[in-house]
Amino acid sequence: MAVDRRMIGVFGVAFVLRLLLICLFPSLPDLLTGRVEVSTPVNSFKRLQEGLYLYTRNVSPYDGGVFHQAPLLLPLFSLLPDIHSNPVPTAIFYFIVDLVNAYALVTISESGQSIQSRLHSAVRKHIQWDGVSVAAWFLFNPFTIATCLARSTSVFTTSGILFAVSNAVGGNSVNAMLALGFASYLSLYPALLFIPLVLVCYDRHLQYSNKSSKAVGYVLQHAAILAASVVGLLALSYLITGNFWEFISATYGFHLLVPDLTPNVGLWWYFFIEMFDSFREFFIGVFWLHLASYVGGLTARLRRQPLFVIASLLGVFAIFKPYPSISDASLYFAMLPLYRHLFPLMRYTFFAVSAILYSSLLGPAFYHLWIYAGSGNANFFYAITLVWSLGLSILLADSIFSALHDEWEQDHPDEQGVEVKQV
Amino acid sequence: MTTFGFLSLLLALAVTLWSPNAFASSDYHEQLFLQPLPQSSLLASFNFRSNTSQQAFDNQHFRYFPRALGQILQHAHTKELHLRFTTGRWDAESWGPRPWGGSKEGGTGVELWAWIDAPDDDEAFGKWIALTQSLSGLFCASLNFVDSTRTTRPVVSFEPTGDHQDVDELHLLHGTLPGEVVCTENLTPFLKLLPCKGKAGISTLFDGHKLFDAAWQSMSVDMRPICTSDGDCIVQIEQTIDMVLDVERSKRPRSNPIPRPLANELLACDTSKPYNSEDTCFPLEKGADAAWSISEVFGRTLTGVCPLTGSDGSQEHSVCLRVPHEKQVFITEGSTEIKKEDGFTRCFDLAPAQPFDLSIPEQTIDIPVPGEEPILYAERTIVGHGQERGGMRIIFGNPSNTTAVDFILFESLPWFLRPYIHTLQATITGRDGIPTDIAASDLVTSTFYRPAIDRERGTQLEIALSVPAASTVTLTYDFEKAILRYTEYPPDANRGFNVAPAVIRILNGENSAPVYIRSTSLLLPLPTPDFSMPYNVIILTSTVIALAFGTVFNILVRRVVSVDEAAALGAQSLKGRLLGKLVAIRDRFRSKTTKVE
Repeated sequence: MAVDRRMIGVFGVAFVLRLLLICLFPSLPDLLTGRVEVSTPVNSFKRLQEGLYLYTRNVSPYDGGVFHQAPLLLPLFSLLPDIHSNPVPTAIFYFIVDLVNAYALVTISESGQSIQSRLHSAVRKHIQWDGVSVAAWFLFNPFTIATCLARSTSVFTTSGILFAVSNAVGGNSVNAMLALGFASYLSLYPALLFIPLVLVCYDRHLQYSNKSSKAVGYVLQHAAILAASVVGLLALSYLITGNFWEFISATYGFHLLVPDLTPNVGLWWYFFIEMFDSFREFFIGVFWLHLASYVGGLTARLRRQPLFVIASLLGVFAIFKPYPSISDASLYFAMLPLYRHLFPLMRYTFFAVSAILYSSLLGPAFYHLWIYAGSGNANFFYAITLVWSLGLSILLADSIFSALHDEWEQDHPDEQGVEVKQV
Repeated sequence: MTTFGFLSLLLALAVTLWSPNAFASSDYHEQLFLQPLPQSSLLASFNFRSNTSQQAFDNQHFRYFPRALGQILQHAHTKELHLRFTTGRWDAESWGPRPWGGSKEGGTGVELWAWIDAPDDDEAFGKWIALTQSLSGLFCASLNFVDSTRTTRPVVSFEPTGDHQDVDELHLLHGTLPGEVVCTENLTPFLKLLPCKGKAGISTLFDGHKLFDAAWQSMSVDMRPICTSDGDCIVQIEQTIDMVLDVERSKRPRSNPIPRPLANELLACDTSKPYNSEDTCFPLEKGADAAWSISEVFGRTLTGVCPLTGSDGSQEHSVCLRVPHEKQVFITEGSTEIKKEDGFTRCFDLAPAQPFDLSIPEQTIDIPVPGEEPILYAERTIVGHGQERGGMRIIFGNPSNTTAVDFILFESLPWFLRPYIHTLQATITGRDGIPTDIAASDLVTSTFYRPAIDRERGTQLEIALSVPAASTVTLTYDFEKAILRYTEYPPDANRGFNVAPAVIRILNGENSAPVYIRSTSLLLPLPTPDFSMPYNVIILTSTVIALAFGTVFNILVRRVVSVDEAAALGAQSLKGRLLGKLVAIRDRFRSKTTKVE
């Protein structure tokens, strides 16, 4: 019961902290909604409001350049009271989504799959955080709080991914696929998590059940479930919008072709502002291919730790997806503490953390210099996004290295603590 | 109920007086109307109108109707055309209502709208593009830049002024170029459309230097078919130029255009001021209206009359002046003055083929020319700071104490300005000056909104709303400024982008002539990238990506070994083996040399 009480405490404090923030600073949500680091064209709450306004007046929100989010969000948000006269219910709805996400993290952590799975057993099992600490790390992360207060719709994608993972490690593979289908339906890119996720389910399945099943059949079966859930959601969306291709091109087409170059923390926007017109399509293809290429490599090399592959891929997405925001980084940072036992093996933690802190503090300042003060130009903010991406990629590479180191130590029990090298 | 400026009434009256002749098969009229406005301004309103029968038009038998324009219209299946070239701002606060009720005026830059006969929207757009391309060549204007992003299809803001029969389906298309600089190169083709081509009649007064130096000027070309009830149709083309000249400024000789301060002894000072002294002067307002003459303000005299006017025998005075009858007006010998009964208008019969000048000496007459207040004042500005987002604020003032004004606000916004219509808010201020927030839906009776699509079409917003008597309504909405690809910025990107003026159509009953108001155009600064470094950006971003990908790839493909093992492996690697071979060869050479010795 003690653990439960701790969990209630953490969740309660997280809730009250958010409530206090919106009560003490009523303009904070709108301020954060307007920040480019938090709101991108595909998750902005203001754009959702505009889409909702058009939707409730029977104008197609997809016949315009503003709204690019999934259609199912429209009826969901039209149930909530008007944001101008009564902003608190919407805010509380978002707080609850955050707590639910944290609960999924607790489940993932307590399943112990990050430490001990079918093919892998971590060497430093004693160094780990319990579920509540992991949840606290997520709930009190300023990036998570900012995302939650800004009412960014990325939190629903986060929910989808976290629930997919928590169901997978809990052995409920069908629910995992349904949740992943929901996340993919909202933001497209989570579909790339399918292979590592199905491996998590498969390992879990072999570990705990006596029935053995063919790997290919298992994967195909789950791919069918995923496809069915996405098709089901698309069919529902079609019922809502009435024009299939219009919303497909306004949402997924928008994700894929990146027509809106509003600044964000990622690498795409400035690159495609400055790209020569004749090469634009080519480089969009290259960027997407690059993003997808991590899936195969990581899954093959880290076959023994599919959950770690998921965590690393979330880091890859936070750096390289077309419209990243700090909510993607917060999801990656939420997954990292599951691998607390790898921290002693990491080599460049100080450098990575410094780069991330440096860019998160200087980013808003340089953006201000460019957009408002006029004393800087676009390169200021661009440089900061480069540092941010660099910091995250150092962290990513370092964690992958330490995971491999951990696997090596498991294979060579007699050489634990020996310095290693890659040849 | 509707208050009409006397000026517009008179002009409207003139149109109705002419209309019986309108059904003659072919005729031509021109008229110049001059009216001094407050603040030593002079409104000069030129009107040229010619008719041709529909049959002659269809057979390409052009007499007064310009052939160049006629063939373009036939090619593009355009049934009704309105083209406007405007510069400057009409100062409604001091000048009162606009000439022609604003119906012959355009927004700053070039504005074009036309009714095109086509079976469907796509075909109509194709013809519209053909029309804009051809007009672009004809008028030396950048009308070819009216593409899909600058074209809208207004639903309620414009109605055809002509009578349209025997057409399948008419499509209204509207395009604006708010950044177009209207100048002499547009005037020359405009004059060429006239039957007398600026060689005789009132069109001889046009001088690019004076016309485009005016505080406000608007050139318009309107083409429409007019039909009688028995099915006789004529095609009418009407060209107007309205301009407001600053008399003082226009009188400056071209040889010495820079104004110089008056000498001290010529200054009229208010000696009642306590600080009035040798070196301090409070200028005394002139009681008398400034003297002016046509030759001074237009830089030339009027040459005769166009011999084609009134070819059907109707008598029309081609020059009219609106000043009190008490005022002294000198005219060139040979012309006659006819004073109208209203006490303020006089017209002149000009002697053919003789220069005509008209001059008004400086005189003090305290009879104000009756004028009306405009029905509505409108003003539109961009609020907010920074290059990320902003707000649009539109202020409507209803000067009437008794009647509400119903009107339609039409905005066509470029796609890179992304309005958030859900933020539309209204504030109403009464005569007491206390603003009250009200729901926008209380004022707005209907809305037509077509959101923009990036790089495809602009926003089209039409709002029908009503401003109560004696109050001022402020509408605001937020917008976001898009950041563009670097090739999409114009050469001077930091100047900003022009946003087309809003068009306000005042609904004043079914039968009266339409009244339009246009706000000024706006300048929208967008965030700009650094134009000098596309290569650097491509290189730097690619470096970061390569660094991340390279590191991860390296880690994934390489084998993990302990440091000791790595040293041992080093000996077996290619490099180690090569080194070993080198050493062996060296040793062999050494041993050979020792043998020889």
